[in-house]
Amino acid sequence: MRKKPKLSLFRFLMTFPAILYCLGLILLPILYIFFLSFLTSDSYGGFTYDFTLNNYAEIFDPTYILMFLKSSGIALVVTFLALLISYPFAIFLMDKSEKSQNLLIKLVMIPFLTNSLIRTYGWIILLRKNGLINSALLSTGLISVPLSLMYNTFGIIIGMTYTLLPFMILPVYSAVSKVDKNLVAAAKDLGASKWKVFKEVYLPLTLSGAFNGSLMVFIPAIGYFFIADILGGGKVMIIGNLIKNQFLTARNWPFGAALSVFLLLLTFLLLKVYKKIGGRLDELGGGA
Amino acid sequence: MKKKILLLSLLIIILISSVLVFSNKNIRNNNYKNGELNVLNWTSYIPDDVISDFEKEFNIKVNYGTYSSNEELLAKLSSSVEGTYDLVFPSDYMVDLLVQRGLLSPLNRGKLTNAENISPLFLNQIYDNKNAYSLPFLLAYSVLVYDNSKINENLRSYRDLLNEKYKNNIILIDDQRIIIGAALLASGADMNSTNDSDLKSALDFFNGLKPNIKAFDSDSPKTFLITKEAEIGLIWNAEATLAQLENENLKIVFPTEGFALSMDNYCLAKGAKNSENAYKFIDFLLRDDIAARIVEEYPYVSPNKKLVENNKAELEKVLENGSYVKNVGAEIKKLDRLWAEFK
Repeated sequence: MRKKPKLSLFRFLMTFPAILYCLGLILLPILYIFFLSFLTSDSYGGFTYDFTLNNYAEIFDPTYILMFLKSSGIALVVTFLALLISYPFAIFLMDKSEKSQNLLIKLVMIPFLTNSLIRTYGWIILLRKNGLINSALLSTGLISVPLSLMYNTFGIIIGMTYTLLPFMILPVYSAVSKVDKNLVAAAKDLGASKWKVFKEVYLPLTLSGAFNGSLMVFIPAIGYFFIADILGGGKVMIIGNLIKNQFLTARNWPFGAALSVFLLLLTFLLLKVYKKIGGRLDELGGGA
Repeated sequence: MKKKILLLSLLIIILISSVLVFSNKNIRNNNYKNGELNVLNWTSYIPDDVISDFEKEFNIKVNYGTYSSNEELLAKLSSSVEGTYDLVFPSDYMVDLLVQRGLLSPLNRGKLTNAENISPLFLNQIYDNKNAYSLPFLLAYSVLVYDNSKINENLRSYRDLLNEKYKNNIILIDDQRIIIGAALLASGADMNSTNDSDLKSALDFFNGLKPNIKAFDSDSPKTFLITKEAEIGLIWNAEATLAQLENENLKIVFPTEGFALSMDNYCLAKGAKNSENAYKFIDFLLRDDIAARIVEEYPYVSPNKKLVENNKAELEKVLENGSYVKNVGAEIKKLDRLWAEFK
C-alpha cells in the first residue's frame, strides 16, 4: 500500500501555481487558437462565428507551401550545422577533467542569461558591410569587396545556429558522456582512426541524444521570426513571420491560428517519430 | 512543523507585500489631484519631458502605453474592456476602421480651445471627412532618399530603382501596404488598387527590384543610410530628415509617381473614463510651443498653423500628390499573399 503523503495541503499549495500556470497560460491559449482556427475572418481584425475549414485549405496554396519548404530547409541546415559543432565539442569534453567539463558547459550556458534579441543585435556589429569581420578582412587584403554576410539567408543561418546551439550541445553532451569509455579505448586499441571511433562507437550510441537535440533546434528554427527580420533584413519570410503577419498586418487571426495549429501538428508528428526511433535506439543501446 | 512555519511565513510575506503594493498605489494617486489619463500612442512620438510637463501643470497622472502598428492598436482596443484606454492615436485608415467597429467616441471640438491652431489644410480628409471622430496630430509621408556622393544619377521615380547598378543597395520600410503601394504606383496603378492585373504588374516590379534590396526595416531604416550600409532608401520623411543630419550627402526627393501619406490622429476611445483629462491633454499638445517641441524631436509634419506657415507651398504639394492607405476590407488577403510571394 502506498502511504498517503503527509502535508498534502502544503504540497498542493506549492504545486498549485505551476498547475495554474500550465492551465492558464499554456493550455487555454492553445485551445483558444484551435477554436479560432475554424472561424471566419471579417477582415476588420475580428471574426464571425461561421465554422469553416477554409483557413486550413488556404495553407495548401503553393505560395505558403513553398514557404513551409523554404523554412524547413533553413531549419534543416541550422540543425545540421548545430550537430556538426556539438559532436566534436562533446567528444573533446570527454578528455577533460570533470571540473573543466563543468566549467566549459557553464560557458556554453552563460550567454543564455542575456536576451536572445539583444544577442542577435550584437551580430549586426560583426556581420554588417563595414562591421568587424569585413573591416578585418579588408585591412589584411584577403578580400577587396566587403562580403555579404547578413541581410540574406546566410545571416539567418548564422544567427539561428548561434542562438539554438546550446539546445543541441546539452543533449549531445549528455548522450556522449554516457558512452562507456572502455568501448572507446577498445576501438582505439584496435587501431580505429578518430573518424572511425566516432562513426562506429559514438554515433550509434548517441543517436537518440542527437535526435533529441535536433528536435529542440529544428522546431524553434521554423518559428524564430525575429532572427529572420534582423539578420535576414526582412527579405526572407519564414513560417514565424507569416503567422506574425496574420495577427499584426493582415488582420486575419483565424488564418494565423490555422497556421499555428498546422505547425503544432507538425511538431507533434516529429515528436511521435522521435518516440518511435528513440524507443528502438534505447533497446539497441541496452543490448550493446 | 518546520514546514508549517515556512508556509505560514510565506503567507505573511505575501499578505504584507500585497498590502504595501495597494497602499503604495493610493499614495501615488493622491499626488495627482485631478486623477489620471490612459494614453496609447505610437513608440517615440511624444517626448517624455512634454508628458511630465503636462503632469505637473494639470496634476494628472498619465499612464502611457505604446504600440508599433495600427493593427496592434486595433488588437489592444478590441480585446480590452471598454474604458481601459482614454486617448489613442490611430492613422487615417485605422480611424475609419475603428469607427466602423464602434471603438471610438465622437470628438467634441468645442472643448478644445486650441483647435483653431490646426491648419485647415489638414482637416476634413477622406478617412473622416468632417473630423467627427478625429483631429490631426502628425503627418508622415514616404520619400526617396539617396546618397548624392555615391549615386551619380538623379533618382526621381520608383522605376529608377530598378537600375542594375544598385544591387543590394536599397533599404525599404517593412510595411506591406506602403511598399506594395509604391510598386502599384510604379506600375501606373492606384496605390490602393487590389485589381488582379495591377497586382500582377506590381509583382513584376518587385521581382525586378528584389536583387537591389538590401533589407526591410521599419524600426530604424535611417541607420542603414547613416552607416552607409545602403545608399538608397524608401522611408518615412522624419527618418530621412534625421539621417540627413548625420550624413549631409543624403538627398530627399518626392517620387514622381506619387507617395504614401500617413496622418495620425487624436481619437477618444469608446467608454473613456477620463475623457475630460483627454481633452485637456489634446489641448495641451495643440499649443504652439508644445507642437514645436514635438516636431523638433521627431521631425514629422505638425498641422500647427504657425509651423505650417513656414513651408506652406511644399506641404500643399505633399497633401495634393500623396495618397492615404485605404482600408481594403477582405481584399487584404490578396495583398498578404502577394507579400509572401514577393519575399
